[in-house]
Amino acid sequence: MIINLNGRIDSNNAAQVENDITEQLSGRDGAPVEIDASGLEYISSAGLRVLLRVRKTHPDMRITGVNSEVWEILDMTGFTEMMEVEKAYRVVSIEGCEEIGRGANGTIYRIDRDNVVKVYNNADALSDIQHEREVAKLALILGIPTAISYDVVRVGESYGSVFELLNARSFSKILANEPERMDWCVKEYVDLLRKIHATVVPEGKLPDMKETALSWARFVRDYIPAEAGDKLLSLVEAIPHDDHMIHGDYHTKNVELQNDEVLLIDMDTLSVGHPIFELASMFNAFIGFSEYDHDNILRFQGFDFETGSAFWHKSLEAYLGTSCETKIREVEDKARIIGYTRMIRRTVMRGETETEEGREKIKMWTEELLGLLKKTDTLLFSRNELELEAVKENLDEVQLFVGERIEEADCPPKAQMQIAVAVEEIFINIASYAYAPDKGKATVRVEVSENPVTVTITFVDHGVPYDPLAKEDPDVTLPAEQREIGGLGIFMTKKIMDDVTYAYRDGQNILMLKKNL
Amino acid sequence: MLNIKKTVENGKAAFALEGRLDTVTAPDLEKEIMGSIDGVNELALDFAGLDYISSAGLRVLLATQKIMNGRGGMTVSNVTGSIMDIFEVTGFSEILTIVQAE
Repeated sequence: MIINLNGRIDSNNAAQVENDITEQLSGRDGAPVEIDASGLEYISSAGLRVLLRVRKTHPDMRITGVNSEVWEILDMTGFTEMMEVEKAYRVVSIEGCEEIGRGANGTIYRIDRDNVVKVYNNADALSDIQHEREVAKLALILGIPTAISYDVVRVGESYGSVFELLNARSFSKILANEPERMDWCVKEYVDLLRKIHATVVPEGKLPDMKETALSWARFVRDYIPAEAGDKLLSLVEAIPHDDHMIHGDYHTKNVELQNDEVLLIDMDTLSVGHPIFELASMFNAFIGFSEYDHDNILRFQGFDFETGSAFWHKSLEAYLGTSCETKIREVEDKARIIGYTRMIRRTVMRGETETEEGREKIKMWTEELLGLLKKTDTLLFSRNELELEAVKENLDEVQLFVGERIEEADCPPKAQMQIAVAVEEIFINIASYAYAPDKGKATVRVEVSENPVTVTITFVDHGVPYDPLAKEDPDVTLPAEQREIGGLGIFMTKKIMDDVTYAYRDGQNILMLKKNL
Repeated sequence: MLNIKKTVENGKAAFALEGRLDTVTAPDLEKEIMGSIDGVNELALDFAGLDYISSAGLRVLLATQKIMNGRGGMTVSNVTGSIMDIFEVTGFSEILTIVQAE
């Protein structure tokens, strides 16, 4: 039963409208009622009271086709929470619009200078849109720079969500047109990736990527020899639960430069999980999907296979904080195991085994996968970043972490102790002063580079701005009686490191130690 | 971790240290020294088993040295190379009486 409302409803005509409705509904108790408000321009409280009375006799009443002015009234008065109210969707055409991004669930077009629309692949996309809006909001609240859609629109037979994206260019575009900015892109891309992976997500807010990966592994197990299949599954099962955020589709079309700000878009795959899952999807985006046909990446990203491979390798190097080729390859191989598993399943699911190309791809990936499974015993890898509460009690954990990271640098004992001393002085400094009298977190990052071998340790905290290097050095030539107790820690750090720098950026104290070995 | 072996006899106190002297362990050493320093004229610190020292440890050494300057004296022995390096950088090699074994 559909009841049409038109024009304005206020105290002048509310009684008349109520009579009309009652007449239409008489003898139809219990029938579902839809109020079609597409012709409604305004409704006052007198009109709202009429709706409430109708709802009393027809509790499942829905209101549809609500324009944005009427929506505001219904939203302000709490009606949108009390009953099912459906907005009238603005119709947007994407004819002649530039495609700027493409993800698993939709395609993004620029509709004018300031706005883009993400058009969802499936016609019944309203729940997907709702999901993406919610996770984008969550990400924003947790400190990840992203765009949130402000409107849902109708695009042909499908739905789309509209975002404001001014003067934005994707990293893919930058890589394709300005190859000289590759290193800059790598740095920004990895900084944002680190930020995502350092973000703890409250329990139950995002899906667990491990569950998804387990389903891929279970699927692929049936397509490879039993022994290899069992190993694949046990490798994925052994990955511990991780409540840190992962994007799930982190390639360069989903990272945008807007003015000077780097923004993450296409949030529908946002999950929690171990970073190996992220690296797997990155490997696929830059290498895996194009390994069979190198032109694939050109079609998808706008840059060639060599550029994609170089970008992936440099990003992995920066992310792991090591230029040790063996270590980089080791982690890449772990990522490839999950990457190939996903691609084999995807190709089978899409029915591509019917084609010669599909069968060849699966054969190639399966061979690679079997080779990798033979030589891999864990999918875990060590990260070069540790976030923890900045309290004295955590000093041992920091030292252990730094010690493990610099092991590969073949550090002589003297330098080992000098690094440990500098690490202690800086960490204790943060623990004592950055958040006092409250507590807060600190991040410690260790990077080892080769030729020449240099260890770089970066401390980041969000406490009060404080430059410990600005303090005057103590006079170390004085006899004991004239010496002050204290002030030695920072002085020593400056002396025994090759470079110590301090910066305050984006609300963060950033202290960097460098030691050449 | 810091192990402290202490012997006090006839106004002479000896402390043999083993492990790390850092922010976490320095208060333990300070407590041990201050708790047994009454009537002590000579204090000997054996660093043979010590493999790490930070400014927190230096602070305890300085405070103890200041007290012992007014008495018989204080020695630090068997200092390893890495710790000696820290003493030199901070001028502690001048302040402390360092006795190296043959």
